[in-house]
Amino acid sequence: MMFFLTKWLKGVLTHRPERLLETMAGVALTVALLASLGIFVTSSVQVMTRRAISDVPVDWQVLTASGADMAAVRAAIQETTSCSVLEPVGYADTDGFEAGSGNATDSASSNGTVQTTGPGKVLGIRTSYASAFPREIRWLTGARQGVLIAQQTAANLHVKEGDIVTIRRMGLPPVQVRIDGVIDLPAADSLFQAIGMPAGTAPQAPPDNVLLMPDAQWRALFDPQLAARPDTVRTQYHVRIGRTLSMDPDNACTEVTQMAHHLESQLAGSVAVGDNLAARLAAARADALYAKVLFLFLGLPGAILAMMLTIAVAASGSQHRLREQALLRTRGASISQVLHIETLEAIITGMGGILLGVAAAVLIAVSTGMAENGNIWGWTAGAAIAGWILAIAAMVAPAWKQARYHTVAASKTLMRRTGDFLWQKMWLDVIILALAGIEFWRTASSGYQVVLAPEGAPQISVHYEVFIAPLFLWIGGALLSVRLWERFLSHGRNTLSRLVHPIAGNLSDPVAATLVRQRFTMTRGIVLVALAVSFALSTAIFNTTYNVQSRVDAELTNGADVQVSGLTISPPGGRLAELEALPGVTAAQPMMHRFAYVGHDLQDIYGIDPRHIGDATHMSNAFFEGGNARASLSLLEQHPDGVLVAEETRNDFQLQPGDTLNLRVQFAADHHYHVAPFRFIGVVREFPTAPRDSFLVVNAAYLAQKTGSDASEIVLLRTSGNPVQVANRARNIVASLPGVRVTDITAAQHAISSGLTFINLRGLTRIELLFAVVFVMGATGLILAIGLSERRRNFAILEALGADHRQMDAFIWSEALLMLLAGAMTGALLGVGIAEILVKVLTGVFDPPPEHLYIPWGYMMLLATAAAASTIIAVYGMKLIFRRPVVEELRNL
Amino acid sequence: MNELVRMDAVGRVWMQGKTRVPVIAFFTGAVLPGDRIAVMGPSGSGKSTLLHIMGGLDAPTSGHISWPALGDARHLRPQKIGMVFQMTSLLAPLTAVENVELPLLVGNVAPVEARAAAVKALDDIGLISIADKFPEELSGGQAQRVAVARALASRPKLILADEPTGQLDHPTAQHLLDVLLAAIEYSGAALVVATHDPAIADRMQTVWHIRRNGQEEA
Ligand SMILES: Nc1ncnc2c1ncn2[C@@H]1O[C@H](COP(=O)(O)OP(=O)(O)O)[C@@H](O)[C@H]1O
Ligand SMILES: [Mg+2]
Repeated sequence: MMFFLTKWLKGVLTHRPERLLETMAGVALTVALLASLGIFVTSSVQVMTRRAISDVPVDWQVLTASGADMAAVRAAIQETTSCSVLEPVGYADTDGFEAGSGNATDSASSNGTVQTTGPGKVLGIRTSYASAFPREIRWLTGARQGVLIAQQTAANLHVKEGDIVTIRRMGLPPVQVRIDGVIDLPAADSLFQAIGMPAGTAPQAPPDNVLLMPDAQWRALFDPQLAARPDTVRTQYHVRIGRTLSMDPDNACTEVTQMAHHLESQLAGSVAVGDNLAARLAAARADALYAKVLFLFLGLPGAILAMMLTIAVAASGSQHRLREQALLRTRGASISQVLHIETLEAIITGMGGILLGVAAAVLIAVSTGMAENGNIWGWTAGAAIAGWILAIAAMVAPAWKQARYHTVAASKTLMRRTGDFLWQKMWLDVIILALAGIEFWRTASSGYQVVLAPEGAPQISVHYEVFIAPLFLWIGGALLSVRLWERFLSHGRNTLSRLVHPIAGNLSDPVAATLVRQRFTMTRGIVLVALAVSFALSTAIFNTTYNVQSRVDAELTNGADVQVSGLTISPPGGRLAELEALPGVTAAQPMMHRFAYVGHDLQDIYGIDPRHIGDATHMSNAFFEGGNARASLSLLEQHPDGVLVAEETRNDFQLQPGDTLNLRVQFAADHHYHVAPFRFIGVVREFPTAPRDSFLVVNAAYLAQKTGSDASEIVLLRTSGNPVQVANRARNIVASLPGVRVTDITAAQHAISSGLTFINLRGLTRIELLFAVVFVMGATGLILAIGLSERRRNFAILEALGADHRQMDAFIWSEALLMLLAGAMTGALLGVGIAEILVKVLTGVFDPPPEHLYIPWGYMMLLATAAAASTIIAVYGMKLIFRRPVVEELRNL
Repeated sequence: MNELVRMDAVGRVWMQGKTRVPVIAFFTGAVLPGDRIAVMGPSGSGKSTLLHIMGGLDAPTSGHISWPALGDARHLRPQKIGMVFQMTSLLAPLTAVENVELPLLVGNVAPVEARAAAVKALDDIGLISIADKFPEELSGGQAQRVAVARALASRPKLILADEPTGQLDHPTAQHLLDVLLAAIEYSGAALVVATHDPAIADRMQTVWHIRRNGQEEA
């Protein structure tokens, strides 16, 4: 036994290392792909979780019932959460605020008028609050301590720092306070959420009127109100959880929720937890699931392909193996000995492949920085096991099958197929395609819901069925192309002969005959190339579309590559020329951002230059009802008093095109809202920087005229270079303007939490595209290696018969080109089809949905070049092998 | 000047590892149109090697070979020299008739004429019934006869047949020889047959004996 083993190994390693190495490469490819995909998923999910956790301004808002034992509450919170930060916040309801007549500093509004507001809230915070929860308060003007007024409230009351505001307490006489600063409350929605309401209660809109003051002052003003009207004054504890949470959003969400339940039950109803963190994690949970599903779907075909290639490589050596087996058996080795040897070979190949693959995966993980974010070994181990199984399946199984046939001749008949495959007789390909169609139609009619995360439900579900359509298209398409190419090759001999005539000339008939006779091998090659190409293409198209779309999404949120936004009193529009002149800025557009009353509803109103706004930011067709951005904008241009409104507004006011819509806009001169007539011309769904709910878009010139101020609160910049750098330069220019903010698109890309778009797919894209190129090269190269020994024999005969090099090349090239071109064509069709369905099925990922597929031309060129290059290399490599003197070949016929 | 092949002190040395193994040494001889020559010798004596050299497939390591009556030495096969190889040498993907017409197509004969010639060659050799069969469907003898038809189809001036009857039973071997001889009778070509069968050699005009280790006698 040992004798055979050593002899065999020596033989394999010294004479025939290609087959081992190729199989090893196939195993390595599979392992590397699976492992790096897995690592990518884990690390993405962890990044998502970490970001979700750090995104939340305040983890918990613990509302205490009046009369609760505060010390006990604090101790319980401390114990449950090991909280790192715990801040008490007083919430007091008021009847409203007043300002105006007493304000000596405000000359514009001191002409006797008094501004009053509706009910408002006064919060009492400690000086440490702002640094403990930096995302809650944004200082605009004035001091950072003392009495701070929300920007919207300041606008309503026409006050600024130094002015006096009267607080109308409930059930008590009003008090006056001096404003020290103006602030913005970016997280107002959660800050003023209704805590402890039953799930499903409509979320409360945050109050328009808010004052913040130091807790000592707040206590002095509102402790009396607490005594008089206990239901109007509350204390919340704002908490940052100290415990380390799981890096999986699903687990983390459960952990946080359980902690909250624990706290609530421990304190027996005297507190209610406003669990911002759990809510955020629940959203991330859906995204993470999306990510997993998506990666699975994009990656799995690649892994299957790698396995198929490996098996094909191993099979391409089967002729040779047969001979070796026969040799071993004639020397007296038994079947089991032969199998032992094959197993040993599989072990060596498998081990080598796994080591190489793991090394490659680790290299990829480290070089892309993914290793820091995830546990890379779990997935790597899984991938290694898969590689192991693959090595056994690819090498031992066929050997075992062959070993049962005693002679080379007997097993040779195994290789030739006469009838159709069972699936061909059953028309399984057509059935699978039909199922793909039905499933696609079903998905389409149900609105493409992939991940269902119903509000308040503890579990989310994935509709894995939606992936049936693209998966079945892939499988069915591949099978159908087997059928069609086999059919074409067996019946299309004359066509083939004409096709190869330019290469083969007088020999086109025998060349065509050769192709026809080898139709099964040919078809195998074509389909292998087709699958590799389709994988590469569908991945690339999907990724490109996704990247473009996530950019569109980010641009929509940020307004443009760089957004400069400020206040009406200090508008960045005044620095337009300087901003436009910045290096890296290709276009700058001012945009007015004010507020207007539509009936009783205060909405954002945007004044734009419809002709030029598109220079600085993308005007997507999806923004406008009717799906034509150009038409909508030119309509606005033609109607100076035109207004685009939200669908909801159009329905509420039953507007018809041409109807007059009276808005109330704030005059610069008297800060009052006055009626201005606009003409309804259409519906706008989304607009750069605009909120997700209702807003208005009008001509800037008309809005300036009706408000008496042409200040542009927003400037949008389109950049040619790095938006982060441009944003920094822009910051220097507007630094002296109070309340001005500069944001760039990359920050928005990170911050967007809708759908999947905030995961950066670039890492995945790179991994997959790299593998796809390797697959395409492998497939094109491999197809020529299939049946190499038979081909070599034929070439020796041709040469002995007097064929010259050009004539012999005709045979190789027509085979190679047929497989390359037919495979590429089939693969392109399949790939585009899959990408199309994938994008449709994953519509939920895209917000707004893409207008069309984006074809990555550069990558396609790269792919075509790689395929052509590997074909050329394979052909020349083969010619190199054939360069042995013909008489030597003739002796081995 | 009308010698088809002229060999002067031709020698062929094979390298086996580092040792030089002379197979043919100082072989001198010529083939004239109409010649019928048997090359005889035991297995491994160099018959195939000699035929390959005569066919221009291999070059001698010493001595000189020329084809005075055949013109340009680069265009000997398939038009001027037809070869039948010792091993089965049919292309598996092609049918019998396609195999036979292949040398004609290689020699740029128009496909229609090539097919006609191939059919005739198969007919002459009594194999028209298997014209559309693939090599794997033929017996060893049939395959060898198709290879002979392939050598004859292009009507060469010189036919080099390397043990063409090796796999045939006696009557079939004789029939094949009849066909070969009839063909050269008709076209005035020369025939060189490598064989170790005395019955074949008997029907030839001349016998070249080759011994092992590079000895030869005319
Ligand atoms: N390509 C080759 N390389 C090495 N030795 C060869 C080669 N071809 C032939 N020989 C050697 O030359 C000798 C003669 O071979 P061959 O011409 O085939 O003899 P025959 O046809 O008479 O049986 C043999 O010993 C063989 O080993
Ligand atoms: Mg021989």
